[in-house]
Amino acid sequence: MISIKNLEFRYGDSEDPALRDITLDVESGDFLGIIGPSGAGKSTLTYAMSGVIPHHYKGDFYGSVEIGGLDTVQSSPEAIARHVGSVFQDVEGQLLASVVEDEILFGLENFGIPREEIEERIEYALSSSGISDLRCRTIASLSGGQKQKVAIASITALRPEVIVLDEPTGELDPQSSRRVFETLRELNHTYGVTVVIVEQKIMMLCEFARRMAVMEAGRIILEGPVREVLSHGERLEEAGVNIPRVAALSRRLREAGLYRGNTPIDLAEAETMMREVAADAAF
Amino acid sequence: MRGFLDYVSGDSVPHRLNPMTKLALAFVLCAACFMTKDHMLVGGVIVCNLCLAAMAGVFDRSARVFLSLLKLAFILFVMQVFFVRQGNVLLTLPKGFYITDEGISFSLLFAMRMIAAAMPLTLMLSITRMSDLSNALVKFLHIPYKYTFVLTTAIRFIPLFSDEMIGIMEAQTARGVEFDTRSFIKKVRLLLPLCVPLLISSVRRIETGAISAELRGFNLRTRDSGYKTYGFGAIDAAAFVFCALLIYAALTV
Ligand SMILES: Nc1ncnc2c1ncn2[C@@H]1O[C@H](COP(=O)(O)OP(=O)(O)OP(=O)(O)O)[C@@H](O)[C@H]1O
Ligand SMILES: [Mg+2]
Repeated sequence: MISIKNLEFRYGDSEDPALRDITLDVESGDFLGIIGPSGAGKSTLTYAMSGVIPHHYKGDFYGSVEIGGLDTVQSSPEAIARHVGSVFQDVEGQLLASVVEDEILFGLENFGIPREEIEERIEYALSSSGISDLRCRTIASLSGGQKQKVAIASITALRPEVIVLDEPTGELDPQSSRRVFETLRELNHTYGVTVVIVEQKIMMLCEFARRMAVMEAGRIILEGPVREVLSHGERLEEAGVNIPRVAALSRRLREAGLYRGNTPIDLAEAETMMREVAADAAF
Repeated sequence: MRGFLDYVSGDSVPHRLNPMTKLALAFVLCAACFMTKDHMLVGGVIVCNLCLAAMAGVFDRSARVFLSLLKLAFILFVMQVFFVRQGNVLLTLPKGFYITDEGISFSLLFAMRMIAAAMPLTLMLSITRMSDLSNALVKFLHIPYKYTFVLTTAIRFIPLFSDEMIGIMEAQTARGVEFDTRSFIKKVRLLLPLCVPLLISSVRRIETGAISAELRGFNLRTRDSGYKTYGFGAIDAAAFVFCALLIYAALTV
């Protein structure tokens, strides 16, 4: 679905490249989490996926990014947008209407979706984000989590194959964050939408993402299934990514030669691990 | 004054007017105040504004706007009243200042006009969705969508910026900066350095808005893109009759 090859990008007004030698493939139907310290280039990578670079932000662009077979350098932002929908780090800034319904209508009108389809699309977008009851509310009156869902709905209405989100839960409390992730899982499972999400809360990624990419100083230093990435605890901590406590524990046990199994990613698995260790110790 | 430009949803008669009618009504209410020299009529327009606001369920907000305008109007009144030299002297003050009956009448009219002319705009914005306003301007006045979008987005971003300013000020207050000083100059001196971070974050915000609009097909939009249609009904006809009567009254009284 998304194929990035040897991408290097430097913003026009800066010295160092923001992205270096990025090679990444995202399969259709995948759920990819991107994590990394501030300034690592996560947002820039999402820009590369939506064509914001090189179309909106100019700079030196080497390598190639293909979205569903389209080369992003040669295609217009609108053509790319038919495949990829973007939700940006700043929620307030991207909402343009005064009422929820109008926010969703905006993209539908612009892309010339036939009249008879519009109502159905609005309902789909609202219900897949779980906000059907907010349709006529003013955006100013919504909570942060609700605004985030409106931003997501305004994108899903366009039925992109991929949705790219940049720290959508950055300013949300744990409960609202979870609800946003549940919305994304629903889109991913039920509607087959490919999800790429930048997220700092590693526990959320462990629970919801299938694959994970770790970025540091413009590079992807680790990429693969979540569990596999987590097993590189040392490398992650070096890059400044906090790993879940259960993963840290398993690393210690492994270093002490007490455990050789899979890296656990939640409490239930940690329990299994501890039982195994305890059983071994009993001998 | 926070949020006085935000849309307030509702299904009242003023809400249901065609966006163009609302715009025309707001314009006529303003214009009438400047066409007439009659205090009663200007007063009537102010009352009319408040009545419309009450009908639309935004009376509280209009009343608040009215009160803040009243303070401003009072200052304007005081500044004006000493400068009119014609008419009968009512009161003589030291240093050659005096107040005349014409001075009072003129300054009062001036202050009332200011109030009456500023109110319809906030009322209109309170009861019209931004997208309806820009769509109607595109459809009926054939203004390019780009311009109407800039206008409506600017209005939408005002509260975001004031929120941001409040956020920055709170952060500074937490660090011990005292903004609630009485001295105006001191206050400006404290606020000035905050303009840079505000400007930077605002520019970023606008950038996000622009990218988000672009990626949702802003450049593909044409005059026929609007999904909603804006018809004129009986209430619109009634509003136009009212406008005509008001203009007639303003010109003859
Ligand atoms: N519009 C821009 N113009 C110039 N340089 C930029 C621009 N946006 C980002 N950069 C630079 O590119 C680098 C990567 O930034 P980016 O925003 O992609 O990081 P990030 O991983 O998203 O960080 P954060 O977690 O803080 O959002 C940084 O050094 C940043 O200063
Ligand atoms: Mg970022």
